[in-house]
Amino acid sequence: MIRCDNLHVTFNHGLPTEKLALRGVDLTIPSGEFVTVIGSNGAGKSTLLNTIAGDIDSTRGKIWFADRDVTNLPATARTKDIARVFQDPLAGTCGNLTVEENMALAYGRGKRGSLSFALNDTLRKIFKEQLSRLNLGLEDRLSAEMGLLSGGQRQSVSLLMSALQPSSILLLDEHTAALDPKTAALIMDISSQIIEEKQLTVMMVTHSMRQALDHGSRTIMLHEGKIIFDLSGDQRAGYEVKDLLQLFAQARNDGEELDDDKLLLGE
Amino acid sequence: MSLYAFLGTLEIGFIYGLVAMGVYLTFRILDFPDLTVDGSFTLGAAMTATLIVFGYNPYLATLLGTFAAAFSGIVTAWLNLRFNILHLLASILTMTALYTINLRVMGKPNIALIMEPTMLTPFEALGIPAMYMKVIFVAVCAVIGGLLVAWFLNTQYGLAMRAVGSNKRMAQANGIVVNQKVYVGLALSNGLVGLGGALFAQTNGFADSTMGIGTIVVGLAAVIIGESLFATRSILVIVMSCIVGSILYRVAVSMALNADFLGFQASDLNLLTAVLVALALVFPKLRREWKAKKAKGERA
Repeated sequence: MIRCDNLHVTFNHGLPTEKLALRGVDLTIPSGEFVTVIGSNGAGKSTLLNTIAGDIDSTRGKIWFADRDVTNLPATARTKDIARVFQDPLAGTCGNLTVEENMALAYGRGKRGSLSFALNDTLRKIFKEQLSRLNLGLEDRLSAEMGLLSGGQRQSVSLLMSALQPSSILLLDEHTAALDPKTAALIMDISSQIIEEKQLTVMMVTHSMRQALDHGSRTIMLHEGKIIFDLSGDQRAGYEVKDLLQLFAQARNDGEELDDDKLLLGE
Repeated sequence: MSLYAFLGTLEIGFIYGLVAMGVYLTFRILDFPDLTVDGSFTLGAAMTATLIVFGYNPYLATLLGTFAAAFSGIVTAWLNLRFNILHLLASILTMTALYTINLRVMGKPNIALIMEPTMLTPFEALGIPAMYMKVIFVAVCAVIGGLLVAWFLNTQYGLAMRAVGSNKRMAQANGIVVNQKVYVGLALSNGLVGLGGALFAQTNGFADSTMGIGTIVVGLAAVIIGESLFATRSILVIVMSCIVGSILYRVAVSMALNADFLGFQASDLNLLTAVLVALALVFPKLRREWKAKKAKGERA
């Protein structure tokens, strides 16, 4: 479970370039729920994910995982609970290490690195099995340099890597945005499989309204650092892409009017 | 080249093989260009020589010299990580400070070790001529050092360190404490370099405050020569190629200096080294450009 209490993040505090990236986000995500996060550029989607992951310190407010207060826990310590896949396929893997070395790193996530060998035959067997799920032929390229793989292949491996260690939370930050439609569909497919299999609590940022409605069981929209609506259950089932787009347009064009809508939608 | 000169070349080659491994750890593994080595090489030598003169066991003296050099690496890492000083600048600051520290450690600009016991003294009883003994000794040291470095880089901890040099964000997302790896990496690197300095002082019979000048360039030359000879992904081969590169570099330099028709003097060494390293750095880029040009020509 993730809980954010009145979360504020301010960049460049006190400077002319000061930016209020998050302005009081209250959010509770029960265990095993899959939430999609939408919003226009600069709405604070990535900031929210990065703050939950611990990359960004919150200015105010608290973050809880289950009943543990993790607000002051550094990002590396939060990796025991959190797995992540980034938007940039190059960001989630090390280009000049081999496929198996990358996977070995992910396999050690949240553990202290020991002085025993990072790779052995047992691990290679596990990695091979996992890679064969992708049907990309990568199971025969364990010792290939990661940098030689295509963006889609690298993102697929990143995704598998995020599931190598048990974790309770998966943060996906537009992880299909940089891929061609076919690869994006494949990645989304595997994501769903993994999420189902491991019963993960998921936050997925996306720019695709279709994706936001098709996946998961709840959709939140951020605007100017606040959650302006939160859809789930029957209400969400009734929503179409055009309805979302309309809300989007309102948020972008007319902040004032939107505030009214927010009241109408009733939180 | 006489046999004697050749053995001397080999000996220095092996010693600088350790230095090259240290440079490999910072430049290639951590992506942290570290010029501290110019100072830590001398520190290793100065500390060891001083302690030997004071009557310490040469092995203990070498160990302490290595630790002192390793600590100077930690200082550089601290300046960079704690205060965000650019890595190159941080290492130059440490290097500059070390010049004074080395003079203070020795109490004078140089120390002779000619009549003092060294790490080699226990082996004199074996009856092998000194000039062979020295080469065998430093070769064993370099190879053991290489095996240990290769082993380390293949452990979980070592792999994490390689990830830090390759992609900090990914490393962090996988729970790796980035700063800790940089501290340990710089300590290891400078420790290896300091050990090289300590061995140099003992095999050559002196420590001098200026002996470390250009260490970084020589180490880098060895790394690059080694890399261009062995295109491999095996860490063991890459680390060992540092030693091979270091020896080949020494052979090339001593041949250039000994070729009378070229008219070089011993004092031309640093210019030769700089030119050699510059060529080695430029060559891969030029080759790519030539290839691109050729491909263009063929299409037209």
